[in-house]
Amino acid sequence: MEFLLDGFVQAIILLVHLDPETYSAIRATLWSSSAAMAVSLVLGLPAGFWLGYHNFYGKHALRTVVDTLLSLPTVLVGLIVYAFISRQGPLGEMGLLFTLPGIAVGQAILAWPVVVALTATAVESMDRQLSITLRSLGADRRQLLLSTLWEARFGILAAGVTAYGRVMTEVGISMMVGGNIKWATRTMTTAIALETNKGMFATGVALGLVLLAIAFAVNVSLSFLRRQVR
Amino acid sequence: MSSGKPPIFRIEALQQHYGGRRALFVPHLEIAPGAIVGLMGPNGSGKSTLLRLLGFIEKPSSGLIHFKGRTAAPFDPRIRSRVTLLPQDPYLMNRSVFDNVAYGIKLRGAGSDSVQRVHRALAAVGLAPAQFARRPWFALSGGEAQRVALAARLALEPEVLLMDEPTASVDAESAERIRRAALAARDQWGTTLIVASHDWSWLFEVCDAVWHLYAGTVFPAGTRTFFPGPWEQAGEGAWRRRLADGQWLIAPAGTDPSAPAYIESQKLILSRAPMVEGSRVVLKGTVLRQALIRRTGKVVVTVGIGELTLTAVLAPETLRNEGMAPGDGIFVTYAPEDVSWIDSS
Amino acid sequence: MTPLFRKPVIFAFCACLILFSSGIAGAQQTLMMATTTSTDDTGLLDYLMPLFTKDSGIDLKWTATGTGKALKLGENCDVDVLLVHAPPAEKKFVEDGFGINRRQVMYNDFVLIGPAGDPAAIKGKTVKEALAAIRAKQSVFTSRGDKSGTHQQELALWKAAGGPMPEKEPWYVQTGQGMLATINVAAERNGYTMTDRGTFIKYEADHKGNPPLKILVEGDQVLLNQYSVITVNPARCPKVKADLAETFSKWMAGERGQQLIAGFKLLDKQLFTPNANE
Repeated sequence: MEFLLDGFVQAIILLVHLDPETYSAIRATLWSSSAAMAVSLVLGLPAGFWLGYHNFYGKHALRTVVDTLLSLPTVLVGLIVYAFISRQGPLGEMGLLFTLPGIAVGQAILAWPVVVALTATAVESMDRQLSITLRSLGADRRQLLLSTLWEARFGILAAGVTAYGRVMTEVGISMMVGGNIKWATRTMTTAIALETNKGMFATGVALGLVLLAIAFAVNVSLSFLRRQVR
Repeated sequence: MSSGKPPIFRIEALQQHYGGRRALFVPHLEIAPGAIVGLMGPNGSGKSTLLRLLGFIEKPSSGLIHFKGRTAAPFDPRIRSRVTLLPQDPYLMNRSVFDNVAYGIKLRGAGSDSVQRVHRALAAVGLAPAQFARRPWFALSGGEAQRVALAARLALEPEVLLMDEPTASVDAESAERIRRAALAARDQWGTTLIVASHDWSWLFEVCDAVWHLYAGTVFPAGTRTFFPGPWEQAGEGAWRRRLADGQWLIAPAGTDPSAPAYIESQKLILSRAPMVEGSRVVLKGTVLRQALIRRTGKVVVTVGIGELTLTAVLAPETLRNEGMAPGDGIFVTYAPEDVSWIDSS
Repeated sequence: MTPLFRKPVIFAFCACLILFSSGIAGAQQTLMMATTTSTDDTGLLDYLMPLFTKDSGIDLKWTATGTGKALKLGENCDVDVLLVHAPPAEKKFVEDGFGINRRQVMYNDFVLIGPAGDPAAIKGKTVKEALAAIRAKQSVFTSRGDKSGTHQQELALWKAAGGPMPEKEPWYVQTGQGMLATINVAAERNGYTMTDRGTFIKYEADHKGNPPLKILVEGDQVLLNQYSVITVNPARCPKVKADLAETFSKWMAGERGQQLIAGFKLLDKQLFTPNANE
């Protein structure tokens, strides 16, 4: 039990003393998860809008598929991405294995269904009159998409926060694709896994608390953003 | 009306189906530019559908709508921001009143005068720009929200303004402001107004023409009374339908006993004393409302019989001579052969 | 237009994203190695690598996993060089054409550890006798169970001890985790396990020199744990940086590397014995 308290003390020490290993892992975590979020938002928002806005044959089945993808096991994503970006794989030439962009690719795949599903829900829950209003005021298709997403911005922000939480705390992809390389691809979560494997439970707790603190900081800045876009 | 100009709308064989059910069928219709057309009819009769089709919000299942002589479809750049619809429950976007009104102008590529245009549009609906422009969307009453929504359309200086029940859920002052603003648009820019409403002050005082809609069918020119089914056999060549108060409607036998029938308002004869005249049908009812049709000088009278509301059109002198006031008992007489069937095929 | 970029805060947020994206390291010569958890967990690599980089100008990165996965990464051409300890598997790896130039660089030895109370009374016995005693007593024995070099060594010892290979017996616990995690499981269950000495010294150090598990059997010839460096075969994997891998391999087996290995100590104890010249 006492390692929990030790971990708490150690977490503060790590942060206050600017421990370079910890900051390297924080940076790796923020880099890969932010890049993953950027990609999954760019690809996920239009898809989510399309899925939420239009009615078409098979929509229900497609929703079920997307909802199932919400439960994608991270290790499966890690293995699939590894298969593609391994030097033997079809995308091996790009040299993504054991790099942060490689992790970001896997995490973007993880985040994409979250963004799509929650955006679709947010767009679906918009008043039907919104579309009529936008179009009767002269919006073309692109403006319709942008304005609808903007109207649904709180739901979409929630989608972003949920997806961000999922990618920031996943271990499977970071470990498999990133390789937990010190100073390079060691993220907060792989560092926690490593320390725990080494039996350094207190350090694991400390890093876990640091990760929680990062999540807190991210959420505080997003809720600040939320107030700005009211 | 200005018959020299080509119609602003020409509708051909227009049909709209929702999930296999036909919501609207318009074989042929034309609307002259600058006209004020009223759409009248019960809920679910297809008024909103027709407005959405004319506003190019929806694609029809089949048929064509020509706008100024050329066929047009949703997202047509020729249509956008020239034809605009004010839906029944207007949606205000989550932004300030100013930004709501300015939205359409900005989409079009804002001119240098966009601020003035927004302010003019707000003033036209009776909202002082200084007081309202910076308000958030949620700090408005229902009537104010409706007027902001109208201002957003007026800011476009549209060629066609379609309004779905614009005054149904607002107070009298807002209703009057909305009516005046819409008429001012017609006077100022020649905007064609098409209004779906239950409001008689719109239909009979303002409109050049009133179209009656019933069960997805449009009856241009003239008011009617509709008799919904189901009908039963009543001897040779006649069908009948029992009303809630026990009286019977009689109609010539049709093809579909569940189909609705109608009679033109001019064919209904109203009298204080019962008329006994051969094969005619005489029903006893109560006068409900009266209103002057300003354009023709005639008077619309509605009479409640059982669950039905009959709409008759009388000359003012008939009304005076017979001395009919709301609440009076009245006899309605019609000839069964004047009843027509709505072709539901 | 949608005022997405009108607000300065959103702009700042995006700027932050871009700032993070500038984080990819410069183009130094980088060598990618797959190694076992024991070399990483003991801190040997953290100690050696800055010195290697200083000597050679090569930036060495490594991913620490079990030997099984390390060999697989080599087979898939995903790494340039391996530092592993499972001689039979390594030899097969080279014979199959996946690797070249296998060089022995050092060894440490395995030890059997268990609770100080020693319920199966294995202290001082040979490995063969000790394992037989554990089996007879049905004392808890934790195994890595992860195809790592250590796990393969342990299986070889069970085989040598005779009798059926333990697999589903309730006293035989397969953790599927790293060495230190497995030691911790053994400690929790008051059981025995086999570990490399280096990891055990680290474990001792973590417990301020007084761990719940003690060394009970050591020094038996069969407990030798040989580490080798293997270059991934460039004939199979054209992208492999074989020249850099050779530089590393020679440095480890050379005088400088060997001296440094001998000098790596924890709690004043030497963890690895260099033996490139044998």
